[in-house]
Amino acid sequence: MASEGQIAANHRNARKSTGPRSGAGKKRASRNAYRHGLTLSITSSAAYAKQLDRLVREIAGNTEDPILLERARAIAQAELELARVRRVKVALIERASAFGELDPPQAFSSVTQIIRLLNAIDRGRVPSFPEPVDSSATMPSQEPDRSAEAIRRVLPELRKLDRYERRAAAQRERAVLELSDRIKYGDNP
Amino acid sequence: MRRNELTLLPKLPLLITEAADEFDALRDAFEQEIKPRGIIEHMYVHDISSIVWEILRLRRCKVVIINSAFRSALQDLLKQVLRQPGQYEHHVEGEAQILAQSWFTDQEAKKQVSEILSGFDLDESAIEAEAITRSSSDLEVLDRMLTSLESRRNKALGCVAEYRANLAQQLRDSADRIIDAKGVLRLEDAASERSTAA
Repeated sequence: MASEGQIAANHRNARKSTGPRSGAGKKRASRNAYRHGLTLSITSSAAYAKQLDRLVREIAGNTEDPILLERARAIAQAELELARVRRVKVALIERASAFGELDPPQAFSSVTQIIRLLNAIDRGRVPSFPEPVDSSATMPSQEPDRSAEAIRRVLPELRKLDRYERRAAAQRERAVLELSDRIKYGDNP
Repeated sequence: MRRNELTLLPKLPLLITEAADEFDALRDAFEQEIKPRGIIEHMYVHDISSIVWEILRLRRCKVVIINSAFRSALQDLLKQVLRQPGQYEHHVEGEAQILAQSWFTDQEAKKQVSEILSGFDLDESAIEAEAITRSSSDLEVLDRMLTSLESRRNKALGCVAEYRANLAQQLRDSADRIIDAKGVLRLEDAASERSTAA
């Protein structure tokens, strides 16, 4: 167990961790949820809700026990969440395979480049815009090299998704154990 | 029954270059081995198959990453071994580039490279080592992901066993309860009843 001193140090350190500070960091962090949308609730889609209900009924059988139904629902939710993470993984790889990267090419990679361009305009020079890099041109044309290169390019994203996947799997295992306990002990767990 | 359960479970999304029938064959092989009963066990088998499929995908990727680093690895290695004392790398860059390019298609060039490398007690494994070193950051991430997947596969296999053991225990308990509640005549009871009557 942590001592009071350690707890105080943790609080002090936590206050320092206030997320990204630079403009670029904040912008990047603000787009995290848009990239895969995994923070959205699974029941927010009607198709998911229907599939969820069918799976719950299959797991729980004909029971009307609300606790058993709730536990079956937790299993089904985790199962669908796992499927969703897997779909996102494949979609990211396919996107990287098609376009060479996840983000569209940027004309300027830093603020310094923009400032240089504005300075050039101020001095009355006609600025030359850098040609956007076509990432898909650097992708291998043959399989399986192309898919492998696509996976390599989205490795950081896949690694993040791995965390979501492990969490969903752990939730499902916990729910299965709870369901087994409910069936085993009935109303007296 | 099995088909019904499989339609209820979400399908594993595959890359467009992956064959659905190959995944089905893999899952069928696991089903033959594990013989799942009920939706929960089917769920675990589906999970195990999906994890193994992904492991195979990442392993293929690892091989391709190393292979694709081969040319630049060979070029760098050749630059190092071709350089004479007093020369810089750019002096031998052209020769290294041509040899590295030809190595993949020309047997003569391959032989020449082997001879150059053997002059330094090196062989083709030195090229592979250089290729692995160049891709080490990607390979490290892939290895972590593979370790995580393998651990989840083992856990899922353990979960099937645990779930089955729980189910078996429940069935035994239920059977005991039925026997106790209905006062089913036990063999020893029947024997004692017979002796009393006699």
